Amino acid sequence: MGLLSILKKLRSNTERELRLLLLGLDNAGKTTLLKQLASEDVSQVTPTAGFNIKSVLSNGFKLNVWDIGGQRKIRPYWRNYFENTDVLIYVVDCSDHQRLQETSFELAELLQDEKLRGVPLLVYANKQDLSTALPSSEVAQHMGLHLIRDRTWQIQACVATDGTGVKEGMEWVCKNIPVKK
Amino acid sequence: MIFFNIWSVLHWYVRPFVKWFLRKTTRLCELQRICYGDKAGAQRTCNVEKSLILSRTKDVKEVIAFLDAVVVERRFIPENFDDILYPSISIIMRTKKIDNKLHPTFAPSFRQCLQQIWSYKQLIDEVEDLRCTQYDYQNSTHEEKLLKLWNLLQPHEPLEERISKQWQDIGFQGDDPKTDFRGMGLLGLENLLFFATIYPQVSSHVLSHSRHPKYGYTYAIVGINLTSMAYYLLQDGSAKTYMFNAKHYLPNIDLFHRFYCYLFFEFDKMWIESKPENIMEFSMIFKKFENAVRSKLTDPASVFRIKIEIDNI
Repeated sequence: MGLLSILKKLRSNTERELRLLLLGLDNAGKTTLLKQLASEDVSQVTPTAGFNIKSVLSNGFKLNVWDIGGQRKIRPYWRNYFENTDVLIYVVDCSDHQRLQETSFELAELLQDEKLRGVPLLVYANKQDLSTALPSSEVAQHMGLHLIRDRTWQIQACVATDGTGVKEGMEWVCKNIPVKK
Repeated sequence: MIFFNIWSVLHWYVRPFVKWFLRKTTRLCELQRICYGDKAGAQRTCNVEKSLILSRTKDVKEVIAFLDAVVVERRFIPENFDDILYPSISIIMRTKKIDNKLHPTFAPSFRQCLQQIWSYKQLIDEVEDLRCTQYDYQNSTHEEKLLKLWNLLQPHEPLEERISKQWQDIGFQGDDPKTDFRGMGLLGLENLLFFATIYPQVSSHVLSHSRHPKYGYTYAIVGINLTSMAYYLLQDGSAKTYMFNAKHYLPNIDLFHRFYCYLFFEFDKMWIESKPENIMEFSMIFKKFENAVRSKLTDPASVFRIKIEIDNI
């Protein structure tokens, strides 16, 4: 056994690649979350036309995070990014009471899609720093998360702009990766 | 990396000798050689700036510190130029032993460089202020600006309500643009507004492209992303080529807006020429566009103009 093959083996053990898909309505905080994960400056975010992608190392995994724009016109393209998704991360702006129903509806649509069947779901209940934000338990109830039976799921309260709660969510993601191969 | 370190150390020691040698042989100091030898505009001004930054003369350092302090107080404006620049230039001319009678062209040329360098520095601060001002729907001047933008872009179609799906017609994401400005704050709105005000034909032309049935894009959202590009190019100094080559303008907020208009016009052209499949190709084409702009900005001789070809006649 040569040195090269040992190195290769080590590499393949330490770096498993995962595909994470970040979805949610516009202004939910997906890009801010993505930048927070990559430890980048979050103060100069712009609305996403199209998508962003970043690779982040976390707990020995290489996470390829896909952040797709949330505006209504882009939502029909979400489907093009479903294939081979390991974990679905859905971001909710908890201070946007008016669109809570819309966001619940979009999530329900996603969960029915064949390509996302059984894919673990993490919901980030974002913007908890705002006084008008609903607590994560209430958001879970509104969205009917407790009715989900076909996959593991978790809701995590967070503040994407300062990173509160983001790490806890990612730890859950790394623990709940579906076993493959 | 190592090579770079060795070079910077060498440069530090060798530079004074080279300068001394050239001074003796040409009988001109470095600033004079730049002002006489380099073409007016980005080439000359950037080299003057480099020479001033590298200077180890106490008086020159003090002049730089003084001008920086003026910028912090936001007093570097044309009305004050005489008061500020006259003493600064005479101090430098005295230390560098430049005789104004023998070299009458030096002072005006040098002054133009100083005006550009410190106007640019002040512009960075002013742009940052605008960017940090969040769009506030309770602020009536902000709201007026937003409505003005609508009227300029859609002169024949009145906005039915403040909260309306119509905002999507000019490329905002939802029925209220207030959340779309995000990290670019008021700067994004001011940019869009300037484009529509100063170049009404060009902006409506670009807007009509954004509604192309196949190659359409979201006008305002793309505009806000271009604000962020213009902002980064200004911050890292790349925009100096554009700003210093603008013949009749000093770097100020209007020139920043003009830079933005140039970017918007050029981006639109590249987007349409790329014949994208759909909006999901945005990040790729946007990156390609940024690279093209950056490479054009590295050439100090580049001139930037909006070349309007009337293709709708």
